[in-house]
Amino acid sequence: MSNLDLTVPPRREDRHHETCLAYGGTVCGSRRPGKRCALMADAERGFTQGSICSLLPGLGIMCSLPDTAVLLHGGVGCGSSIHGINGNVRAGHNARRGKPFDALWFSTALNEVDVISGGDAKLERAIKEIDALYQPQVIVVVASCLPGIIGDDIDSVAAQVQPAVNARLLPVHCEGFKTRFMATAYDVIYHAIGRNLLPAPDEKIIREEKTINVMNVGSMGRIDEIEIERLFEELGLTANFYPVFARPESFSRATRAALSISTCPTHDDYFLTHLEEKFGVPYLIRNMPIGIANTSAWLRDLAEKLKLPQVEKLISAEEAELRAALQEFLPLFKDKRVFLSAGEYRSLATASLLKELGFKIAGIRSFHYDNFAEVELEKLRAGGEDFTWNVANVQPFEEANLLKKVKPDLFLGHWHGNQTAGRLGIPTHVIYNTGYGYIGYRGVYDLARRLHRKLSNTAFTDRLGKYGRLPYRDSWYQEEPFAYIRSKNAANAE
Amino acid sequence: MTSILDEPLPPLVSALERPRWSCALGGALAAVGALPRTIPVMHAGPGCASNFTWMQNGSGGLATGGYCSGLAMPGSNLQDSEVVFGGHERLGEELANAIKIMDGDLYFVLTGCVPEVIGDDVDAVVAEYANDGKPVVFASTAGFKGNSYFGYEQVLKTLFKSVVEKGAPKQNDLVNVWGVPPTQDVFWRGNLQGVARLLQLLGFRANYFFGSGADLDLIKKSAGARLNIVLSDLYGIEAAELFKELHGVDFISTPLPFGAAATEKFLRTVGAALKVSGEAVEKIIDAEGRRHYEYLEGLLEVFNDMEAQRYAIVIGDANYAFATADFLAEDLGFLPDLIAVTDDLTAEKREILLTKRSARVAGRYGEKSQVVFIADGAHLTEAVDDTWRAESWKKYHPAKRPAIVVGSSLDRGLAAALGAAHLTVAFPVSNRAVLNRGYTGYDGGLTLAEDVISSFIAAR
Repeated sequence: MSNLDLTVPPRREDRHHETCLAYGGTVCGSRRPGKRCALMADAERGFTQGSICSLLPGLGIMCSLPDTAVLLHGGVGCGSSIHGINGNVRAGHNARRGKPFDALWFSTALNEVDVISGGDAKLERAIKEIDALYQPQVIVVVASCLPGIIGDDIDSVAAQVQPAVNARLLPVHCEGFKTRFMATAYDVIYHAIGRNLLPAPDEKIIREEKTINVMNVGSMGRIDEIEIERLFEELGLTANFYPVFARPESFSRATRAALSISTCPTHDDYFLTHLEEKFGVPYLIRNMPIGIANTSAWLRDLAEKLKLPQVEKLISAEEAELRAALQEFLPLFKDKRVFLSAGEYRSLATASLLKELGFKIAGIRSFHYDNFAEVELEKLRAGGEDFTWNVANVQPFEEANLLKKVKPDLFLGHWHGNQTAGRLGIPTHVIYNTGYGYIGYRGVYDLARRLHRKLSNTAFTDRLGKYGRLPYRDSWYQEEPFAYIRSKNAANAE
Repeated sequence: MTSILDEPLPPLVSALERPRWSCALGGALAAVGALPRTIPVMHAGPGCASNFTWMQNGSGGLATGGYCSGLAMPGSNLQDSEVVFGGHERLGEELANAIKIMDGDLYFVLTGCVPEVIGDDVDAVVAEYANDGKPVVFASTAGFKGNSYFGYEQVLKTLFKSVVEKGAPKQNDLVNVWGVPPTQDVFWRGNLQGVARLLQLLGFRANYFFGSGADLDLIKKSAGARLNIVLSDLYGIEAAELFKELHGVDFISTPLPFGAAATEKFLRTVGAALKVSGEAVEKIIDAEGRRHYEYLEGLLEVFNDMEAQRYAIVIGDANYAFATADFLAEDLGFLPDLIAVTDDLTAEKREILLTKRSARVAGRYGEKSQVVFIADGAHLTEAVDDTWRAESWKKYHPAKRPAIVVGSSLDRGLAAALGAAHLTVAFPVSNRAVLNRGYTGYDGGLTLAEDVISSFIAAR
């Protein structure tokens, strides 16, 4: 039985054998057994700060879909992040369709009465009203924490209401408390798409031999997609970017593609295996095209699978042109110490990129760990050096402690994740934001150009560091940064 | 998809379209994050913190701010095991470690939906610490219990019950001010400080609880204040009643005083309540008015030549909709013919709001405004009739032009469809950066006039 036959997809922690959410040590040390030195599947913290649940990345994808209404079934606050995400939704539409569109979303705003008597009836009415009034092609019905506790069943409601409405209904489970891995969000959305929006597998598929599915759950902006299109054109290929900003009616194209390729392995395996099993679309999920060597490796994987020997000519020409263009930036970067913090794959791949630019890696923080990371970790281990590595679902207290000790020259953090470094006076740059280029050869150049600009005038963070405050006691900085990481089972046994 | 100006839509009944507020926890967290040297401790599911952080950064005027804000706030991040076995142990551990690691003068526990549905006894956990002399307090703020405004009120009530000391010595020059919910009012910092300056003109110190210049020691001693001023017809009124009951301090409620006309009324009302002589108040009004109009005089020629007077649609919450519309009508002589209040208000609260406002605008242009309540955005289309449309098939058409839409970022589509100018002042504010800007007082009125006029001269 395929996972897609289940109404609710399995959680990341149940699906992957090697996962970890709390680790403090080094990249090389992560393989060695011993207390807090090796990755522990049951690692947790005795103190935690604000984190991210599956709803946040989930909404980022869902709100990007054109002609789609997102109906949040939960408390009225669960959709609040969309007021922030909306800026990216507008920019993404503008870049692809020439006009900004606001995300269209709704909330069933469950109240005290609903919590006692159940919200299924309210949800059913809400779906029918939105279908009649707004006529979207798709209504995504998203469950946040409350339905998962009070026993509302969005799958049954959706199945029951479906015959009465025109929109396709997509039940999506983002009950935050149910998984410790926000990356489960990618699985649940792919799960809902796979179950509801793809054609029946027995339909005859007319294969598009030059079409490649390029999976993008939001880690690439349009500017990065354009870079991939440019490289694909050189190879005579067409990219079908999927699923962010993809039109519902175009989803079936994914089933006709010659190949699927991931741009961030931690996101996509769930769906790629489904496309292969049900529709015969083979896939590649290994490298992320961030950095010179990584981009070339990503292209080589693709070319090998498609038998495109001309790729070597393309790679050597691209690399030579890029390396020449980078020269003017390199003197400023030489031996500067950089600290990175982001999602698992991006943090590690970007570290490789920054090494190529002549930076020294002062430390890396990754939001989680799973076995996909090993490919990227091996690249870093192979360099003969070792680096401080912290696996943390954000947890800025560990970051503050580390940064005070490490004192890097530059910090690259996830969006909304540069505050700690900035307040310490460290120049910061966003390691991922859909408005800027990061991917491919052009991405390397764009990032280098931006870092050069950043380091050319650091007055803003210099002055912030003089006056900025962080909310930690001085005594915390005297402690070891990973003092609160422990094994859950060992803690229970004590 | 239906655009805002296609056929009018009947309102949704079972869902809210893009609600312009968050839940109780979101509102409470914005408030606690704005308290001086205070550490919020969130007892909630694992995503609430990032949800509110993304909201504040992206639509709160681009500023998270706060001493311990964003993802730095401690939280229990409840998982399925706690949902089954209870989360109070996790909270106890979290609190103990938060006190060890986080440098705060007050630790403020807030609850989300998860612990409240599973029935965690948070009071008991917090009491353990409070009895031990630790500065730990708690407000119940589950999302299903209410919205941002309710959460803000819950935080005020907790402050008044658990932080404000009973029997503090009287301070005759001290006045407490609230009614401006942080983040929900994106200009909260500037608005509070603008009011503090007005009180200073009257000879009083303001304790305004939130943001730069607020002081935890002053908050603790605030029971000694002479008067409480609630800058709202609705938000913070229940808390003011509680303050009176607990600490015996009276309160008055006034609207946000945007601009000169509202500020004159504010100074007269507050002056009378504080027993400042009428003569002294009039002297202040005269001097400040002269100073104010030195600036506005300079604008007169351009204001006239460019036909700056406009019809206006004003969209905002109970504080902003009327404060902004009345500024436009009474200070700039605009015609705010349509006012949309975006709160999810009970019939009783709507009545209170309309009654208070009617008394203020009796005999003035503002009396003519049509007021609609649009807790979900679809309602607005019913009120925007043909006279607002830019194009008309009629040869002689009494068009409401030129027009301006003053509302939130979400109202850009409406303004564009009407061919009207647009200014964002109400949450969500995603297309402006807001630091210390505020619209209260005389100076705030100048700032708002600048913003209004800048909105339609950007292409010059």
